[in-house]
Amino acid sequence: MQGPLIESLARQGVSRRTFLKYCATLASMMALPPAAGLAMAEAMAAARRPSVIWLPFQECTGCTESITRSHSPTLEGMIFDMISLDYQETLMAAAGHQAEEALHAAMKANHGKYLLIVDGSIPLGQDGAYSCIGGRSNLEILKEAAQGAAAIIAVGTCAAYGGIPKARPNPTGAVSVSDIVKDKPIVNIPGCPPVPVVMTGVLAHYLTFGSLPDLDDKGRPRAFFGETIHDRCYRRPFYDQGKFAKTFDDKGARRGWCLFELGCKGPVTHNACATAKWNGGTSWPVESGHGCLGCSEPDFWDAGDFYKALSVPAHPPTSVVAASVVGATAGAAAGFANRAKKNAARKARQPITVADLEK
Amino acid sequence: MTLDVIPIHVVPRHTGAALPGEPGLSGNAPPLLRELAEQVRHLLETGEPSAIDLSALPLTPADLDWLREKLGSGEIAVTLQAGGESTLDETACAGVWWVTHRNEQGAVASQFIEVAFVPELVKAHPADVAIGRERLEFMVSDL
Repeated sequence: MQGPLIESLARQGVSRRTFLKYCATLASMMALPPAAGLAMAEAMAAARRPSVIWLPFQECTGCTESITRSHSPTLEGMIFDMISLDYQETLMAAAGHQAEEALHAAMKANHGKYLLIVDGSIPLGQDGAYSCIGGRSNLEILKEAAQGAAAIIAVGTCAAYGGIPKARPNPTGAVSVSDIVKDKPIVNIPGCPPVPVVMTGVLAHYLTFGSLPDLDDKGRPRAFFGETIHDRCYRRPFYDQGKFAKTFDDKGARRGWCLFELGCKGPVTHNACATAKWNGGTSWPVESGHGCLGCSEPDFWDAGDFYKALSVPAHPPTSVVAASVVGATAGAAAGFANRAKKNAARKARQPITVADLEK
Repeated sequence: MTLDVIPIHVVPRHTGAALPGEPGLSGNAPPLLRELAEQVRHLLETGEPSAIDLSALPLTPADLDWLREKLGSGEIAVTLQAGGESTLDETACAGVWWVTHRNEQGAVASQFIEVAFVPELVKAHPADVAIGRERLEFMVSDL
């Protein structure tokens, strides 16, 4: 295992064994076979550093914070030694015309080969005037940069699905990267912010295999988004036993019971928080006693109250299935009955107030 | 204040399918012994190492304890300080190593059972040995 990367790491005091260990863990998190760790290390060490252009649009820089300030700076920071980050407004020393020149030089020199990372949504309202860089709209910049890109990585829920800027009433007309670019491979790494290891994992996959990882129907890498938070949650046995915390400070909450009734969106959220955790493996939202907000799913901000339980069917749906086997009429009747129950439930529903939460 | 003050009880994920009389065991650990036997046979015949990624399998802490106890401990225990502590312990079955990688905060980052004469991570790389030689030559020239 030799190459420019290893030498560069050695200069920073990162040993070969540290790198091998990192690759073994990364391969494990990506659900690759154990032998892949060594193969990954060898390929990454020898890889030519691909040019990466990172464009920030309508965003809060939280995604950049997540990746650059992850708890173990040497580990996640290492990935930045494996790429040639030619343009990143927040991190680069250059500003103004020099920065724009660097962007265009990188785009020209690596045309058709560079990776384009985008964080933030793209506003279309007022001809894109809501977010401009150097007097040009985000839309214009994205279209230009996407043309010469080998692939695009949409980092964060805003770039992947529109995120908070797109939340109702969407004053700026925000859209996602995939709403605009249709002719390039796009990997979505949603999350508000995304888990750092997911991002480095996608880059490591690209460096190792020269291709993008397997994606699900929402454009997310299956290795990290294949299962829901609920599937991998350590509180799952309590859900199965029907033990729920009813308020944030009752007996159930203190015993670490399931947060479903407090509005946890874990059952419908695909992300790696439950396994990768946050802050260097210290904890993650559910372990800290708060339900999942579902931040890696499209339109999570408008998906209903964060503190309201996900709806559960009043009667098992099997009755409807059985009815439809008997006949369409019976099925329709069951459907009608269910709708009536749903309306009644909606009328009886009492909104949760701040006072309720403080009870 | 330490974290222990916060009364969160971490419970294993798979408690449902416990073996009768043995709480916390999922029944997923015993088949791994067969897989290890096959991997050791492969090592003896071809010299090729292999590994089982424990974090990728549905194993409870009790399963891991059971497995660790069954495999026992051998003569060698390697501690590696590289981006956090790693331990590579030979089990009572020579050639079977229990490998735990921890991060700088001390949390377990990944865990494997490796089947090899010597785990790859323990060997010194020729390039690193060359650096060591330079260092020695420098010391000798300084005498």
